[in-house]
Amino acid sequence: MPENMIDQIRENVIQGRVSSDDEGMEEGMAGQPGVTELVEQALESGVPIRDIVSKGLSGGMDIVGKKFEAGEYFIPDMLASAEAVGAAMDILQPRLAKSGIKTKGTVIVATVKDDLHDIGKNIVTILLRGAGYVVKDLGNNIDTQVIVDAVRDEKPEFLGLSALLTSTMARMEDVIRSLEENGLREQGKIIIGGAPVSDEFARSIGADGYGADGFQAVAVVEALTAEET
Amino acid sequence: MVLTDGKGGVDVAIDKNQVCQFIGYDDNHKLSARISSLVDDYAKNAQGLINPLYSYVVKDVEWARGSIAFIEDSIIFKSEVIVQLLERCRHVAIFVVTIGKYLEETAWKLARDGLILQATVLDAVGSDAVEKAAGRVEERIREMARSERLVISRRFSPGYCDWNIGQQRMLFHALTGDTLGVRLTAECLMIPQKSISGIIGIGTADSNVENYNPCQFCNKQDCPGRRLDNQE
Repeated sequence: MPENMIDQIRENVIQGRVSSDDEGMEEGMAGQPGVTELVEQALESGVPIRDIVSKGLSGGMDIVGKKFEAGEYFIPDMLASAEAVGAAMDILQPRLAKSGIKTKGTVIVATVKDDLHDIGKNIVTILLRGAGYVVKDLGNNIDTQVIVDAVRDEKPEFLGLSALLTSTMARMEDVIRSLEENGLREQGKIIIGGAPVSDEFARSIGADGYGADGFQAVAVVEALTAEET
Repeated sequence: MVLTDGKGGVDVAIDKNQVCQFIGYDDNHKLSARISSLVDDYAKNAQGLINPLYSYVVKDVEWARGSIAFIEDSIIFKSEVIVQLLERCRHVAIFVVTIGKYLEETAWKLARDGLILQATVLDAVGSDAVEKAAGRVEERIREMARSERLVISRRFSPGYCDWNIGQQRMLFHALTGDTLGVRLTAECLMIPQKSISGIIGIGTADSNVENYNPCQFCNKQDCPGRRLDNQE
């Protein structure tokens, strides 16, 4: 029975179904329990949280990632699955500490001052949540000082900065310099993303990584997490 | 000048295929049932969140050389690409369109609540709506020009090619206050974001202005604004 529940959770992650209201990849799935209902049922049935997370949620996302790489899934399909995992993690979060399960880490994300674009940042946010990170999204057009304060207060393992304009990408360097001046640069790793930036630019301003798109951003965070452990 | 300025509202119909392209699907991909129903719902309900408005003025092109175009009422555009357009034109229509702020405010709220997929789809619906609105205004300007036996160019906007986004200020100055509540940030981005501003060149039939396409001579193959000959 527990294995069957895990299988169902994994399958519904693959289908990108948060709740029973949602259709899946194919029609006719609405009305059947989605990931959130299945996770609740699994918890009530005593299925170990570790199995729900590793075999059900992460197992499902692994398959979704492979389908994306194979060109079978597109960005919205990935978002649907990541959203289902994020919703499940919201349910599980209060119980994780009691179960001795650590999250992968906290990521603060922000679009820098004077830049209003946030779709790319939002995609990174949901994919990171889907990958098991706790994400605090500060929003767009965020003052450097607000970002610095958030790093000081939240002590995240990662800071993700986004900019879509050549005129605002320089603000990323301002943030890094300001973190240095406040003795906070070593608090966590900094990754950047957005149309005008590059790996070369990331290195030039002292960032730790660059993600060309949402999926690469998650891969960079995962790689940096692995380096730390 | 018989060509007149214009201002008003337009109706737009959301194109599901276009929305799907905005969110990352290609033409050949079969949509999942969930995404399909989500796009349908948002396309249908978006009509209550959008208020497509347009405003344009028509000015005479006084001269255009090198990288400077001098337009009636002391309007100056600086860009070689725009000069190469306007040196063929008698007039230029300067426009702004917007669908208003409600759709993007709703998308922001969805994103804030963690509903990123929904926010992304709604944002794409807004992108399609404002593109459609700009297309409708282009049609109006084309009809007006045709009545005077003139033809029009494609749309050109600051921020593309060598036309600096800072020239949005000149564009908004030319609109003499009829900017439909659209304002510019310090970086010359428009708020509401689902707005499009730009110019359309107007010339005689032998000016060949309708075929002017700087992308033909540009090597930036990965440019997001690249337009092929058969595209608007």
